[in-house]
Amino acid sequence: MSYKSVISVSNLTKFYGDFKAVDSVSFTVDKGTVYGYLGPNGAGKSTTIRTMLGLLKPNQGEVQIRGVNPTKDPVQALQCLGYAPELPNLQAFFTGKQLLDFIGKIFKLTTQDRKKRIKQLLELVGLKEWENKKIGKYSKGMVQRLSIALALINDPVVLIMDEPTIGLDPEAKTQFRNLFTTLSKQGKTIFLSSHLLDEVQRICTHVGMINKGKMVFTGSIGQVLETFTQQWVVEAELEKVTKTIVSSLKKFGYVEDVKVEGNRLKIKLKEKKDLRGEISSEIFKQKGVILSLNLHKITLEDAYMRALKEGQ
Amino acid sequence: MNGLRRVAVIIGYEWRRALAKKKFLAMVILVFAVQITGFVIFNHLLTNSPMGLEVPLEQIKPLIWTLEVLAPQGFFTVLIAIMIGGGSMSEEYEHGTADIILSKPISRIEYVAGKYLGGLSLFSFVAALTTVLGVALSIAFFSPQESLQFVPHIYLAVVYSNLVFLSLAFMFGEVLRRTSLALLSAIGVFIASTVISGILAVVHMITQEQIYLDVSKWLPDWCVVNFPDFVTKELNINVPLLGGMFGSTEEAEIFLAGALIAVYTIVFVVIAVVRIIRSDVTKKTA
Repeated sequence: MSYKSVISVSNLTKFYGDFKAVDSVSFTVDKGTVYGYLGPNGAGKSTTIRTMLGLLKPNQGEVQIRGVNPTKDPVQALQCLGYAPELPNLQAFFTGKQLLDFIGKIFKLTTQDRKKRIKQLLELVGLKEWENKKIGKYSKGMVQRLSIALALINDPVVLIMDEPTIGLDPEAKTQFRNLFTTLSKQGKTIFLSSHLLDEVQRICTHVGMINKGKMVFTGSIGQVLETFTQQWVVEAELEKVTKTIVSSLKKFGYVEDVKVEGNRLKIKLKEKKDLRGEISSEIFKQKGVILSLNLHKITLEDAYMRALKEGQ
Repeated sequence: MNGLRRVAVIIGYEWRRALAKKKFLAMVILVFAVQITGFVIFNHLLTNSPMGLEVPLEQIKPLIWTLEVLAPQGFFTVLIAIMIGGGSMSEEYEHGTADIILSKPISRIEYVAGKYLGGLSLFSFVAALTTVLGVALSIAFFSPQESLQFVPHIYLAVVYSNLVFLSLAFMFGEVLRRTSLALLSAIGVFIASTVISGILAVVHMITQEQIYLDVSKWLPDWCVVNFPDFVTKELNINVPLLGGMFGSTEEAEIFLAGALIAVYTIVFVVIAVVRIIRSDVTKKTA
């Protein structure tokens, strides 16, 4: 089957009774992309994901996974897909190994393949010693790890993860972030919903932002930063901040505002230009001693906040 | 072919899920206990007949297995069927585990078929155990037993008749998506049906109007409770106590009971299937 994008969501609308949870959302995710899906609580992220999996039926619009609509043909659409839900509720009566085996059977893996894959995955997620323990006895973090293993049991082409690192310890978070990067390099497409913006900025190549059910932005990380960057900020740490330094900087035409925080100066620039040279010469002129001088363009968090604000 | 494999996987899953439930195991043990207690009471009655009660001991003894097999029918087997059917779909929604399965490459038809057949096969297994237990106890204490070649027939009649409440509870589980509500609704229908049947029988006795008995035949408990008895009689197994318990039977009634079981079952299953196909998979509700 030919398809342009691995995931294609077009004009997706979903109502819960009278409440419009998702409103004409459209985006595409291309092969090998790590797509971060951002939005505040109740924005419609999980509804979008659940519709992408065919668990919810859209009122309008369509989802396609590798050219197949999961609502119409879940068997074909989901065969190549792995899904790790947010705070998963796994079958507590199974052991980790049994659950992986059960899901492997649904994916039609042979007994030998299941055995091999289960061993690999339990080692990968650090649950080898817990493989024969009932899931009911697992901690939240262990359930999350098992959920990621479940998502990988079929060696999927597309991975959909809803807050995958929630409940994990910092070491495991780093481990799984590295894993996602490795999987992406292997050509897998990853769709990731997360509240952790620094995580998204670190892992993702593209982002989509949703607020109150409406798509606010979709594009590459570079595009989002460019689109929502209004000004750059130079942050200077001085030995001592004096009034003369502050007033002389304020007089400059390219400086919009100067804020003093202890021995730090936050200098907002009017233009998107690296003006650290000019600023440092001015501070030297006023006999200031610079300890550090950094240029902050914009973080994903800034862009995200601005996107949500503009989208309202 | 692949679809059948996935259905088989879900059947196996349903067995594991049910057998992991302590409530279910307790219910099965209770049924065994009731069956053994019933046997002890029969044994006592048959060997120490109370004053005024004339029990045709020699006629009953060789066919005591039929009483043992049919003793739980009409109440305990119905409760087990409801317990299996009622939790099958709803517990998956309540625990949020439906998401885990239905986000995998399996169609909803395959899922619901696996769930239903899993519940049915589990019920059949429990009914087989009660049948074997009843027959084994009868042989051990009242041997020789007669007409044992008809054990499979009566066993199948018990399983078939209980399809009604298994399917009703299954349907309620999918429609309501709350186990307690599904169980209460199915038990409610069973009790209401039994009570209304009783009232209609009393009214019939007083008025001698046939219409009251005819109406009671359309209630779900009539076919469920009476079908195995009708089959027993159709096989020419005439146990004196059985006749007294269930009343006389016309030949046409076995067909009516059988047809009603089929109709009720089909209607309930179709409603459950339509509901799961047309609706969203709800998130964790418990």
